[in-house]
Parts: sequence; structure tokens; C-alpha cells
Amino acid sequence: MKALLLVGCAALLNLRCRAESSGDDESAALQAEATKAFKQKVAPFVTKYCQDCHGNKKTKGKLNLQPALSKPGDAAYVQAWLQALSNVRAHDMPPDDEDKQPTEEERQKFLDAVAKIKYLSPKDPGPFVIRRLTKVEYGNTLHDLLGVDPAVAAELPDEVSGEGYLNTLSPLQMEQYLVIANEALNRALGPAKGPATEAQKRLLGDPPAPGADARAAARKVAQSVARKAFRRPPSQNEVDVLMQVYDLAGQNKLGYPAALRLMLKATLVSPQFLFITPASEAKAGSNIVALDDYQLASRLSYLLWATMPDAELAKQADSGKLHEPEVLKAQVQRMLKDPRSRALFDGFGGQWLDLADIATRTFDPEKFPQMTAELRSAMYDEARLFFDSIVRENRSIVSFVDSDYTFLNETLAKVYGLEKTVTGPEMRKVLLTNADRGGILGMPGVLAATSFPNRTSPVKRGVWVLEQVLGERVPPAPPNVPALEKQDKKTVANLTLRQRTELHRTNAVCANCHKMLDPIGFGLENFDAIGRWRDQDESGGAIDAAGELPGGKRFSSPRELKTILSARKDDLARNLTERLLAYALCRQLEGYDQIVVDRLVKAIAKDGYRMQTLITEIVMSYPFTHRRISDHLASSAHEK
Amino acid sequence: MKNSPLIDRRTCLRGIGASLALPLMETMGWAAPGKGKAAIKPPLRLGFMYMPHGVIPDVFWPDDADNFLSEPPPALNSLIPVLHKCLMMKGISGVPNGPFSGAPHALELSTWLTAALPDAPSRAKINIAISADQIAANYVGGMTSLPSLELATMPQTHKENQAGLNEGYYSHCSFRSATQAVPAETNPRSVLNRLFGDRASGKPGASTKADPLDRSMLDLVIGGARDLRRKLPQDDQHKLDEYLDSVRSVERRIASIEYRLKEAALEKAGVRASKRNASDSLPIEIKIPEGDKRSEYMQVMADLTVLAFQTDTTRVSTYIGSTPNGVSYPELGFNDSHHSQTHHNHQVDKVDKVAKITAFNIEQFAYMVKKMDGLREGDGTLLDNCIMMWGSGLEDGNKHSRDNLPFIIAGSGGGSLKTGQFLNNVSGNQGDLLTTLLGCAGIPLDRPIGIASKTLPEITTKG
Repeated sequence: MKALLLVGCAALLNLRCRAESSGDDESAALQAEATKAFKQKVAPFVTKYCQDCHGNKKTKGKLNLQPALSKPGDAAYVQAWLQALSNVRAHDMPPDDEDKQPTEEERQKFLDAVAKIKYLSPKDPGPFVIRRLTKVEYGNTLHDLLGVDPAVAAELPDEVSGEGYLNTLSPLQMEQYLVIANEALNRALGPAKGPATEAQKRLLGDPPAPGADARAAARKVAQSVARKAFRRPPSQNEVDVLMQVYDLAGQNKLGYPAALRLMLKATLVSPQFLFITPASEAKAGSNIVALDDYQLASRLSYLLWATMPDAELAKQADSGKLHEPEVLKAQVQRMLKDPRSRALFDGFGGQWLDLADIATRTFDPEKFPQMTAELRSAMYDEARLFFDSIVRENRSIVSFVDSDYTFLNETLAKVYGLEKTVTGPEMRKVLLTNADRGGILGMPGVLAATSFPNRTSPVKRGVWVLEQVLGERVPPAPPNVPALEKQDKKTVANLTLRQRTELHRTNAVCANCHKMLDPIGFGLENFDAIGRWRDQDESGGAIDAAGELPGGKRFSSPRELKTILSARKDDLARNLTERLLAYALCRQLEGYDQIVVDRLVKAIAKDGYRMQTLITEIVMSYPFTHRRISDHLASSAHEK
Repeated sequence: MKNSPLIDRRTCLRGIGASLALPLMETMGWAAPGKGKAAIKPPLRLGFMYMPHGVIPDVFWPDDADNFLSEPPPALNSLIPVLHKCLMMKGISGVPNGPFSGAPHALELSTWLTAALPDAPSRAKINIAISADQIAANYVGGMTSLPSLELATMPQTHKENQAGLNEGYYSHCSFRSATQAVPAETNPRSVLNRLFGDRASGKPGASTKADPLDRSMLDLVIGGARDLRRKLPQDDQHKLDEYLDSVRSVERRIASIEYRLKEAALEKAGVRASKRNASDSLPIEIKIPEGDKRSEYMQVMADLTVLAFQTDTTRVSTYIGSTPNGVSYPELGFNDSHHSQTHHNHQVDKVDKVAKITAFNIEQFAYMVKKMDGLREGDGTLLDNCIMMWGSGLEDGNKHSRDNLPFIIAGSGGGSLKTGQFLNNVSGNQGDLLTTLLGCAGIPLDRPIGIASKTLPEITTKG
């Protein structure tokens, strides 16, 4: 109901009103220009070429531009415009069989004007709703706090993470938090009568001397434990609650150590520990506030390390200077050098490259008996070490696509045919002389992740390159996929996979997308389904790796494909920026975020597309350092 | 799939019945009437078990209503011994995909028990509707130490973006509220531990027993959380409400365990007479398999459900027997992923594999309900007091169609369902079916479930 009302409010907004809401002159000018461009270029183009299928109550391909025409800047239509943009740019729309076709000039002007629609969005950092720690973060935090093995959290249900973060808390999880808190404290504090453990000394200090004020000592402990566990100074109220727990223990005749233990347990099941919460209340009436330094420290620490801030970062937050650009930048650089920053690959990189589940993914054991646990883990580590090297050595993000080195051990070297020079189980850096390898496109883990269990899939690889590397949007296959099996089976059996895949194009419904997807995948056909080089495919026919990218760039081998892709620096940078920003913010990017991404990509380009610059710029960006408090930004802007 | 590392050794848990579950069950029993008192009817239990991607309609649906029992289709072979206690109906449609037609697989599981679509404007978050199992748990959950049991075979972590929907929609079917997905447990040992405590799981050196002060401690923590809540903006408050709700549920659970332990102690001391019928079956044994064979794994999950029902530890269970995408069935002699085979384009070998996968899943369901039917309870069997629903969120995976969703209902819910029949022309939707089943289980509803517009009198005995 509320959602409906909100949409209703947004509908009342006109463009002028939105322009006022974001304030500064420069953006006001951009908005005016965008409004003009929209009226002159976008609306007539849509009416002429799109409306018959995507308007007037028609929603072919699930796209209807009609409502977006009246409210172009509305966040609800960002996805629709992006889809229109990518389809028109790829000459995918209007379809070839339509009589009315725009001239190249019309097309370009439409694209330019659509790209400006983002300027109609009000300045908005998005919400930063208090966030529960993920399973991984929770385990790591217990480790940093109590010195226990992060695996103590293993019993928690596994979660989907990243952009679609599943931020809910169920009774089952709560029950397990309580059980895990018990277990973690048992391990950290040891038996009641035993000698004090290291964690005990660090967290609880010495017991008060006989005759000293035990309650006062306990209050001090409560204060310091809460500062660490809540990752911010506790309020008086919060310390009072912990003291009530201490008193509860006393009433039940527990001694000082046992009372502190119960207090610690209360800390570990408190929402202030399980969620990242702000240190101070936002001023009444404010819509957008800067994160306080403690919240910023936590957000940064969980992004780069997947754990709580360390002493140094906590100190910077205490000093109140963390938000200062130079201080923040220095912290990012320090943290990226720390081994804990491998969390960035485990949490983000692995998901980006589709390798997070390589250990459990199914491969046909008869065709690929090589896909042992050992090889799978080497594939994961190769990508991880490669990603890390680009981060730590602050290389250009172009090296993701085009590099002359990788990381191998003997098991993985066999896939490369390099087992004569690389021996032994440990992963090490290896220089590559074969230009078809080097970079994610020639990486066995990636090639395997984009294959079927028993064969390659040019289609999957094509989609992967377009979406994951270049950031294009590929529409999903339509339901009711028509059968391709009408052909004589014997004839089909003698075709190469490429020839068979090309049958897609005999069907008009399929052809529209596959003429774009398949040629990219064909360019990688020299790599089999686990990434080994081959000159013939399974039919015995020679591999034809000639292909073409949308827009007409041709290539005839993986190395040529790499060269073409590595020239598209802005696309590579934009894609990685969008993905990492969404991961950092734990949410989908929306209207105003596009303006932020533009600025980030510009800043990154200026510094040679360096990886650390990209990460630093994201951390210092407006949406990372601010939050919107009200859910009603649009409507409250309207009320002004 | 979680496999061998978790199920590290074969444990045969004889005697949990004797040491733990049985005394509890005696005090909470229901069969024999005391002197001058009316007979206490055993409680009704409600269970759900899921398989993704639909079936091969030609080999799944019975030929016609008349020979359902005499010549059932091969897919139902494993159910033959209890087929007269089963009910099937054709003509139940799924939730129309609406704006999410590009997301058949993200929707099949998440709409299954909600009979509702995700909220389109906030599709990147979880925002759907409370699911039927959780509605039931809200009503009957207070009477057992565990309000409901949620199990799954695979971790609920499938990652794929379909139509911009939150990836959680792929692998969750239980929702406690519109915004709160309920995770399922995948480790049989933890399930056992959760149901009956550490002693049952035989974990060496286990020391995670609930602290007697935990309840009071949680009370204080809740007080503090309320303080925090007041200071937060609205969206944050909502997150904190989920937290508070979960903590309260844990408190209730501790309280109910304490209550049952106390009752058991009184019983042992001879203070109360047993209400349990001497002829009721003893609690079943749980054997946790050591390998990673899918059937053994699914059967231990089924056993746990049976034991939880039998001992009245819970009355509502949901088992996601398999999750959309990525899953294969090496045990059946092939490694193709379930999903890839369902897009079979009528190729014989693929059709055959899908049929085998379907029969395999039904077999595990049959294992569970046959076990229930082997346990005496009151005047009949445990199964007679259950409503067990097996089904899928698609009819035909090849076409992603949802016109005739496949369901098998086992157990008559204490005689409220008309079993032993196949109705080949029922006109209704998924919401109608869930609404009807919950009604038969005695759950009062303040509104129909999801898209429901009516109940299905033809499947009930009340007509």
C-alpha cells in the first residue's frame, strides 16, 4: 500500500520541481539540457520507432516505454531506459524486419539524449539501512574480537551475497547466534576455574582486588567491550543494559567472571553487534546525512576485509577525522596492503568472475576426470592471486583482460600445457609468452564456469563477455524457446559446435540476440570446457574462431579478441565501477548513482585506470559516505 | 550440496527415544482418554516438500479418475502402498508471472507457498508475502517446542539475476513476513541437535546447552534493542523488528523446552498419568549417513521430519528437496543438470532423464509418507493425522508452463480430505489449494492466501 502511495507521489512530480531539489547550478543546467534533449530527441524517436510494440499498452519483450515517457527521470524507469539504450545501440532495435528504420544520425542523437536522462534524478546517496553481518563477516568478527576460529559460525545457513544481499534475520539464525555465542565464549574464555586466557585478559582485564568495587570494574569492562563489539562508543543506556545483565548474574549467585561472561554473551546477541548501526541519532528533519566516522569505519572495514575495524582504523574513527579525504585515502591504501583484503576477492571478485561455486559445480566426470578438488581449488586461487596482484600492485584494470602473467601450480599448469616448467603444488607467478592466455578471458576457471558440464557453450561465453566484462545488458532467452531439432539428426551430428550453434540464426526469434552473442563465444572455442587449448572440436571439425563484436569489430583468435576488448577501457572501467559500487553499497544502482559512476570513471581514467584508484574513489564517493534517512526523498522534495 | 564433511561418521542414535523424546511425548500425548474425559484427538500436522522445474506431463498425470488406484502412472510407483491415502488433482494453476516473465525459476519456489508475486518496485529486496507454512506456524507453533521446521537439501545460495529479482527468491519458499525469508537447515546433525538437544546428536564434548539465565538475559537485550529502535529511521526500525521478533521466538522456544522438561520430570515422579496410548509406536531411530548419496541424505531429512511430527516437537515442516538450477543427480547414472534436461525440446533421452529425476523425488516423498503410515497413532497412523503436500512450481519445465501445477497430497488430515482419488478437472489456483489445505488442518485464516479466490470443496470431505 505504502509503495503504491509513493509511486503516486512521484507521479505528481514534474521535471522542474526535481531540478530544484538538487540545488547546484551545474546540475540545474544539465537537467535543463536533459529535459530539452528528451523532448526533442527521445520522445519523438520512441513515438516513431518504438511505440507500436513498447507503448500504448503493448509490452513486447516486457518493455513498455509509455509510463517512462511522462516521468523520464523516475528511478522506476532507469532499467527500462538502460535496456532501450543497449538494444538501440546494438542495432538490435528496431528489429531488422520493421519497415521504419532510423537513420544513423537519428539513432546516435537518441542514444546521446537517453544517456542524459540520469541528470533528471535528484541528488541522492540512497539509504544505508542498518545491515546484518553476513555469515562470513560474523565469523571473522568473532575471530577478531575473541580470537576464535571463524569456522565457529559454520552452522549458520549459507547466504546469497552481494547486490542481492539477503538482509533478513530469522528465528533459526537467532537461535544459532545464541548457540554460537556460547561456543565462542567457551573457546575464548576457557573453563571457569582455569587460568585466564589471552582473550580474557585482553577483554575483561584483571578481576578487581578483594574489597574493591566490583560493579565499578564491571562497568568499565562493559564500556570497553561494547566499544569493540558495537564498533562505536556505546551510549549510557547501552552500558546500563549490559550492567543489568551483570546484576542478573549477581542475583543468581554467579561470581564476577561468570557475570562478565554472561555480559559478553549479551553483547554478542545484541543488535548493535549483529548489525552495523549508527553511533548517533540523525538530526530531526534531516533527509540526507553524512555517515558518522564509526559507521564509515565499519562500512569500509567490512567492504575491504569482511571484518570489524582494527585498532588503527578504530583510532582514526575516534579522532573524528576519518571522513577527511586524505585520512580516508591513506586508510584505504593501508588496508589494501593487508592480507585481509583478500576478502575483496572472496566476496566480490569470485562472484564477478563466477568462480564462487567452482568447487561444487558439476562437470562430467567421464569427459573431464581432471576436474578434481585440487584442480578446482587451483583455478580459484589463480583468479584470486591474479585479482590480488592487480589490487596490490595498483595495476590498470585493463590488465584484467590483457596481461602477460598468471599464477599456476603443477596441476593447473597441465591445463596450460606448461607442466614441464611449473612443478609442485604451490601456486606461483608465471610469465606467459602465449598471447592467447593471460587475463580473465583465457583463464581456465572462467572458461569452465562459462561452459556446460560436458561441453563448451559459445552462447554462455558470449553473454559472459558482454555482461561481466563490458557491462552490456543481454535480455534473457524468451519463454517457449522454439525447437531446433527439426534438422536431420545425422547431419547435425557431423556439424561442429559452431555450425550447430549457428542454427539459432535460422529462426528469427533466436537470431535477434544470437547474432550478437554467439560470435563472441566462437572466438573462445579454441578453449575447451575446462580451458585447455584445442584446434579441433569434438566433431573433429577444425575450430573456426573468427568472430565479431556488436558494432562490427572482427577478430580471428582469442588474442585478437583480447586486443579489441582491452581498447575499450571506458567500458571496462564503467562495468567494474558499477559492480564494485553496487557491492560496496549492498544495493542496486539507481538513477542518481549513474551520475556518480560517470564522475568515478572520469577520475579513474585520469589516473590510468588504476585499481586502487577505483577502490579509493568508490570509498570516497558521495553514496558511500552519505545516507538518505527518509524513504520519501522524492515526496519530501515535492513538499518543499 | 553439503556433503560428507558435515556427515562425518555414521551415528546410530538408539535411545534418544528412551532418554529424551519419549518422556516428553508421553506427557504431551493425546490418545487414551482419562476417566470421564473425552478422547483427545491427535494434533494435525502439515508438511510440504518441493521439487523444481516441473514434470513430464505425459508420464506424471494419471490417465483418468477411474484407474488412478488400479493403474497409476509409473511416476507414482513408489507411492502404491499408500496411494489410497493420497489425493491428486489436475487444473491447479500457478501464479501468473506478471511483470517477471523473464524469471520463471526465481519465481517457481518463491511463489509456491505464498501464491503471490514479489513486489515489482522493490524487486531487488525481499518483498513478497507470508507463506502458508508460516501462517500455520503462527497459529499452531506455540503448542510445540519448535514452531516449524524448514529443511533443504542444497544451500540456498544460487546466484543468478533474473528480471532484477533478489537472488534469495531462487531458493527460498518460506517467508515469515513479506520481507523476511526463512533460511532452511541443510545439515541433518544440526537438525537433530535443534530438535532434541546435544545429547541426541551424540556430539562429543558438546557444551552448547541453553543457559538457565538466557531467557532473562534476552529479555534485557530486548529492552536495550527497543531503546535503539526509537532512535532509528523507519526502514532501520523495520529491520530491528525482525530482530526483536526472532529473539522473542527464541525466548518462547526456551520457555517451551523448559515447560516440557518440567512436565517430563513430574511424569517420571508419577505425579501425572500418561495420556499416551500404549499401542502408539515408539519414536523412530535416526541414522545419519556417512556418504553423500542423495537418496540417503534426503531420507534422513525425511526421517527427521517424521520424528519431529511423531514426538509433537513441531506440527509444520517444509522441505526444499531440491533447488532450482545447478543441481544434478549422479546417483541416477547421469551428470546433466536437472535444469538443462528440462529444456528437452522433446528429445527422448532428456525427457527420460527428467522423468527419472521426478520419480526419484517422488520416491523420497513416498519414503517419508510410507514411514508415517507405518507408525500407529490413536485410531490410525501418523499419516492419517497429516497433510503432506508434494509438488513443483512449474508444470512443464520445457515450456515454463504453470497451468496445471503438479501436486500430490498424502494423508487425510484427520479425515478432512477426500483421499484415494484423482480429480482430473479441478478449476482453481495455487492459492485456492493452500487456503483449502490450511482450512483442513484447522488453521483459521483472516484472508485468503495470495491469489486465492475460493476454496476447493471437491477435495474435502465436508464437500
